[in-house]
Amino acid sequence: MARLTVIGRGVRVRGRVTGDADLTIEGHVEGEIAVSGEVTVEASGLVGASVAAHVIVVRGAVRGDLTGEEVVRLEEGARVVGDLRAPRIAIAKGALVKGLVQTGSVAATAPRAKAQASAPARPVAAKRPAPPVAAPSRPAAPPARPAPVAPKAAPPVAARPAAPARPAPPPPPPPAPPQQVVAKGPPPPVVPALKKGAKAALKKKAT
Amino acid sequence: MASTVIGAGITIEGEVSADEELVVQGTIRGKVDAREGVTVEAGGTIEADITGGPLTVAGSVTGNITSSDRVDLQAGARVVGNVKATRITIADGAQFKGNVDMDV
Repeated sequence: MARLTVIGRGVRVRGRVTGDADLTIEGHVEGEIAVSGEVTVEASGLVGASVAAHVIVVRGAVRGDLTGEEVVRLEEGARVVGDLRAPRIAIAKGALVKGLVQTGSVAATAPRAKAQASAPARPVAAKRPAPPVAAPSRPAAPPARPAPVAPKAAPPVAARPAAPARPAPPPPPPPAPPQQVVAKGPPPPVVPALKKGAKAALKKKAT
Repeated sequence: MASTVIGAGITIEGEVSADEELVVQGTIRGKVDAREGVTVEAGGTIEADITGGPLTVAGSVTGNITSSDRVDLQAGARVVGNVKATRITIADGAQFKGNVDMDV
C-alpha cells in the first residue's frame, strides 16, 4: 500500500508534483502532476494541471489533460475540461467532460499533431474540437496555426505551401486570433484581379 | 483533524500555500507558506523558504524560516538557513547553521 498523500482543502500548490505515491487532492493544484500511483481529485479539488498517473479518479474540477496508464474514472460531480487518455475510461452518470476522450494505448499521442495543421484553433485555451477536423476542408485558414498546446510538433510547413497557390486574393482570416506567436511564412501573394479575356498589352511609351 | 500530508514518495516543485497544518514526509522545493504550521518529519526535506506558523522540524530544511510562532528543531533535524521566530528550541542532536532572530 503506497503512502497516502493528501493535499487538503486549504492548500494551494503551484508547480510540479511528482513521485510514486497515491495522491488525494482536496485543494487547489496548478501546474503539472506526474505520479506513478493513484490520483484522486475529490469533490472540493480544483486542478489546473495536466495529470499523468496510473489510475486517475476524478470527483472534482480539472482543467487539463488526464493521462492514465491504467484507467481514468470520472465519477459523479466531476467536471473536466481537457483530454482523457487511458486504456480504460469510465465516465459515470453526472460527470461532465469537455475534450478529447480516447481509450486504447496511451502511447499513441502523435496523431493529433497532424490534425491541427489547419484545424481552426478555438480561442479558448486547452480545448480542442472533439473529432479532429479534416484538414483539407479549410484551405482558407491562415497558414501556421498550430494547436494551443505548443509542444506538439505542429507542422506549419505543411500548411505553408498552400498559401502561394491561392488563385484569388485570400478571404479575410476568421476573427479568432492564433494563440501562440508563430513566425508566419511569407505573406500570400496578391494577384490582381483581371477581367476575363483581358490580354496583356505592352504599353508603348511615347518617345 | 484536518492536515495535509505530503507523503514520502512525493516531490513538489513550486509554491505551496496552506491554510491548514502541513506535514511533510516528502520533498518540497520552492516556497512554503503555511499559516497553521509545518511539521517536517524525519524523512522530509524542504528546500525552500518557509513562512507561517509554528514549525516542527525533524527532517531537513534548507532555507530561511520566518515563523509567527515557535520553531522546534528536534533531534535528527538538519536546518541550514536563518530562523526568525518568537520562540525557538533546538534539541540535542539537531544540526543547525544560520542566524537566529527572535525579534528581541
